[in-house]
Amino acid sequence: MLAAALAGLAYALFFASPYGLRVLTVAGVYALAAFGFQILFGLGGALSMAQGAFFGLGAYVTGILGSRYGLDASVTFPLSLLAPLLVALPVGLAVLRLESHYFALATLGVAQVLHLLAVNLPDLTGGANGLPGVPAFALFGWVAPRGLPMAALVWGVAAVGGLIGWRLARGRLGRSLELVRDDPLAAGCLGLDVGRLRLTAFALSAVYAGAAGALAVHTQRVVSPEVLEFPVMVTILTIAVVGGRGRMVGAVLGALLLIHLPEWFRGLERSYLIVYGAALLLAILVAPNGLTGLLERLFPPPPRALPDAVEPPAGPRATGEILRVEDLSKSFGGVRALDGVSLSVQAGAIVGLIGPNGSGKTTLINVLSGLERPDDGAVWIGGRDRTGAPPDQIARAGLARSFQAATLPNHASVLEAVAAARLPFDRSVAEAEAHARWALDRLGAGDLALRPCHGLPAALRRRVELARALARRPSVLLLDEPAAGLTDAEKADLAAHLRRLAWEGMALLVVEHDMDFLLPLVGWVLCLDRGRTLYAGPPDGARRDAAVIAAYLGGPAVRDDSDDEDGA
Amino acid sequence: MRRLIPLLVGLLAAAGPARADGLSFPVLVPLTGFLSLEGTSQRNGALLALKEAPAGLVAASEVIDTGTSPEAAVTGLERAAGGGPVGAVAASMLGTQMLAMLPLAAELKLPLVTVSGTASITEQGNPWVFRFFPGDAVTKTAHARYVVEELKKTRPAVIYQTTAYGQSGKTHLEAAFRALGVNPVFQEGVDPAAKDLLPVLTKALSANPDVLVLHLHAGPTALLLRQAATSGLKIPVVAGSAMHQPSTAALLDPAELKGVCAETAASPVSGGSPAVAAFTESYRAAFGKEPDAFALGQYDGMRMVLAAVQAGAKSADDVRKALAAGRHDGLAMSYASDGKGNMAHSAVIVCYDGKTRIPALVKRYDNVTGVVK
Repeated sequence: MLAAALAGLAYALFFASPYGLRVLTVAGVYALAAFGFQILFGLGGALSMAQGAFFGLGAYVTGILGSRYGLDASVTFPLSLLAPLLVALPVGLAVLRLESHYFALATLGVAQVLHLLAVNLPDLTGGANGLPGVPAFALFGWVAPRGLPMAALVWGVAAVGGLIGWRLARGRLGRSLELVRDDPLAAGCLGLDVGRLRLTAFALSAVYAGAAGALAVHTQRVVSPEVLEFPVMVTILTIAVVGGRGRMVGAVLGALLLIHLPEWFRGLERSYLIVYGAALLLAILVAPNGLTGLLERLFPPPPRALPDAVEPPAGPRATGEILRVEDLSKSFGGVRALDGVSLSVQAGAIVGLIGPNGSGKTTLINVLSGLERPDDGAVWIGGRDRTGAPPDQIARAGLARSFQAATLPNHASVLEAVAAARLPFDRSVAEAEAHARWALDRLGAGDLALRPCHGLPAALRRRVELARALARRPSVLLLDEPAAGLTDAEKADLAAHLRRLAWEGMALLVVEHDMDFLLPLVGWVLCLDRGRTLYAGPPDGARRDAAVIAAYLGGPAVRDDSDDEDGA
Repeated sequence: MRRLIPLLVGLLAAAGPARADGLSFPVLVPLTGFLSLEGTSQRNGALLALKEAPAGLVAASEVIDTGTSPEAAVTGLERAAGGGPVGAVAASMLGTQMLAMLPLAAELKLPLVTVSGTASITEQGNPWVFRFFPGDAVTKTAHARYVVEELKKTRPAVIYQTTAYGQSGKTHLEAAFRALGVNPVFQEGVDPAAKDLLPVLTKALSANPDVLVLHLHAGPTALLLRQAATSGLKIPVVAGSAMHQPSTAALLDPAELKGVCAETAASPVSGGSPAVAAFTESYRAAFGKEPDAFALGQYDGMRMVLAAVQAGAKSADDVRKALAAGRHDGLAMSYASDGKGNMAHSAVIVCYDGKTRIPALVKRYDNVTGVVK
C-alpha cells in the first residue's frame, strides 16, 4: 500500500499534466466523500441516499460564503462540515428507525428537498444557474492555486480523513456498526445502542460529505444544483461498492478508478458510456467483493496472531432471584401471544420453557430481552424493574440471549463474532478479543478462533453463540432451542456446559423441544399453551401432567430418569 | 461514413502538414444527458465549420463530451488545453458549465465560443467568452414583442422550466412583458422530468389567458403541445427556441403544431438564403440530420474564429482580439461583440402551418438590445 501511495505521489509530482492533476484532485474529493459513506453504508449497512445531498450542502455553504462574502477557508470549511452535521442529526433521528428501502427513500427525499431549495431560492443560492466566482481555497492568506497545490491539499485532507476513518472502522465503532449491519436485533441484544450507533455513523458521513463538497466547489469555482443531483450520489455509492464495501482503502481505489475511467474513454464521444458501463460491470464481476477483496484474494494477508486469553471481569456472584416475570401479557392484533405469564428464575437455576409451536415461548423471550414491549405485566432483572426497556439496556442489565437460528456474521471470524459481544463493555477491540478468546477457550472452542463463521456446522455455531453470551458474563441467559440439530454427544456436551454456568451462579431459561435433553437438565419447567401457563413445576410433574401431555408432549408419560436437577 | 467525419477531421489534422498554424479547436459539448440533442447540434455545427475551413487551413479538433455537470466541463477544458496550442474552444451551451469554465478559460487564456443563451455568462466581466446565439435579453424581448405587438395579446400565461435555462428565460420574459405594459396572468415553473403537463396546462387555462407562452426544453415542449392539442386548446402558443429544433417537431404530428410559433436565433430548415440552404444540405449530407439554430450559431462562431486565423491570428489571444473587435457576416445574422462577448443581436419568429414540420419565418428582430438583467 505504501508503494502504491509513493507511486501515486511520484506520478503527481513528476508526470501528471495539469489535466491529470485535476482528475486526481476530483478523485481525492470523491474519496473523501466515500470515506463517510463507507462508515454509514459499508460498515453500518444503511443505504443513505443523502450522502450526495450533504456533499452539495457543504459545497453550497462554501460557495455562498466564498463568492458572496469573500470568506476564506478558516470560516467556510468548518461551516461546510457543520451545516451537514446540523441537518443530519434531526434527519437521522427521524429516519434512522426506518429499515432498508424505506430508509433509502426517506434519505432520497432529503436530497430532493435540498435540491428544490437550491433551485428555488435564487437570491441565496443563485437558483438553477448557481453561483459563479467561488474563490480558490485560501487559508490565512495562503491560496491554493489549481494544479499540484490543490491536488496536494485535497489529498492531504483525504489522507487525514481516511486515517480517521480507518481507525474508526478498525475500532469499536466500526466493529459495532458491522454487527448492526449484519443483524440489528442481535446487536441490540448484545448491548449495543443501535439507534445511537446509526446516528453517529449518519452524522460522521455527513461531515465527510460536507468536507468533500467544500473542496469540490473550490476545485470547480462554481456551485450549482448539479452538486445536489443524483449522479453525485450514484458516483459515491459506486465508488464504495467497486472499491470494497466498508474499506477506506476501497474508497481510495474506487474513487481513482471511477473518476479516471470515463476520462480514459472520453475520446469515444457518446459511445464512452457503453464502454464505461461495461468496464464497471467487468470490475464487479471480477471483483464481487470490491477491489480490496480482489487484492486480498490475489495477495492474501498473513494470518493474524491470536490474542492471549484474558478473563473478563465478572460482577459479584449473584444470589437469590435474578429474573422475575409478573403477569406478562402481549397481543399481536387479535392474537393473545402471552396471557398473564409469571415466572421466577433464581441464581444458579435452570428453568425449562416448553410448549407447542405458537404457544408464546419465543414471544416471552423476546419480551424479556426487550425486542417486544409487553402490553401488561412487569419484568424484573436483578431486582430492578426493566419492563419495556430497549434491548441494549436490558443486555447491559445482565441479560443475554441466543436465537433459534444462530446469528453469526458470515464474513467475520469466530473471534471477531464473539468479541463483538464485548464491544459495549471493553475499551478497545484488542481488549474485547482477549476476552473473547477466554470465552472460546472456556467452551473448548479456542481452536475455532480464526475460522470464518461462514460454513461452521450447526453445533459449532451454537457453541460460538454460547461463547458470545458467556463472554458478556451475564447474570441471566435465555437460550432459544440450543440443542436443535445437535447429535446426542453434542447435546451432552452442551448440557455439561450449561450446568457449569449454572453452578457458577448464572440463571438460565432454556426453550427446547427436545425433552430428552431438557428435562434432565432443568429444575423447573414452565409449559405454555396459547400464551397461558399450562404448567409450572418440577420436570417430573410435567411428564405426568395430563394437560401438558395432551397439549404438547403427547403419548404416554415420559420416563423420569433425572436425578440431579437444579432447583428453581 | 457520417460518423467518421470527426475522426477524419482529427486524422487529417493530425497527419496534415498544415495544422491551422499549430492551433487546435477542441469541441467541448454535452453529448450525453438532458442536453444531448442540443449538444450534438453544437458539435455538428462546429465540426462542419472545421471541415469546411477556408482553403489551405486544416484545423485539428478533439470532441469531448461534457455531460451536464460543471465538473466534467472544467475537466474537459483542462484536458483540451493540455493537447497543444489551442486557438479557441467550441464550448458547452449549458450555462452552469460555462460559468464553471469561465475562470479557468481566463486563467488558460482560451476563447470560449458558445451558443449558450442562458445564464449571465457574459455578465461576469470575463473577456474570453463569445456567445454566437442571442441571449435571453434578445430572444425574450422578441418573444414578448411578437406576442404583444403582432398577435395583440395582453393576457399571456407563461410556463417555464425550473432549470437555469427556464429561470433565466422567465426573468427576461417578465421584464420584457412589463416593458410592453403587459402582466402575465399566470406564471409557473415545471420540472424537466415531469411526465404529465396537463395539470399545469389546466391551471394556466383557468387563469383565462389569451396566449400560451412557453419557455421549456425540447421534450417538455413537445409533451405540452401534444397534451394541449389533445385537450383542444383554442388559444395560440408562442414557444421558446427549443420548439424550432427539427428534433422537437419530429416528436409531434404536423396537425399538433398548427397555430404554434416559436422564437429562435435562426431556422436553417426554413431557408431564407442560398447560403443557408447550402449549409442545410451540407449538414444533412454530413450528419443525416436536420440542422437547427444551435448548429448554425456554432457553425457561424467557428467560421469567425477560422476567419480570424486565416487573417493572421497566431494565438488564442489573437483570436480573442479578433472576435472582440471584429464583425462577421454569418449565415444566421451579422455578429459583433457588444463589449461583453454577446455576438448575436437578432432573433426570428417561426410559425407552423399544421401541414408540415418545417416552420415559416414570420418575423425578424434585428439589433435588439433587450432588457439586460
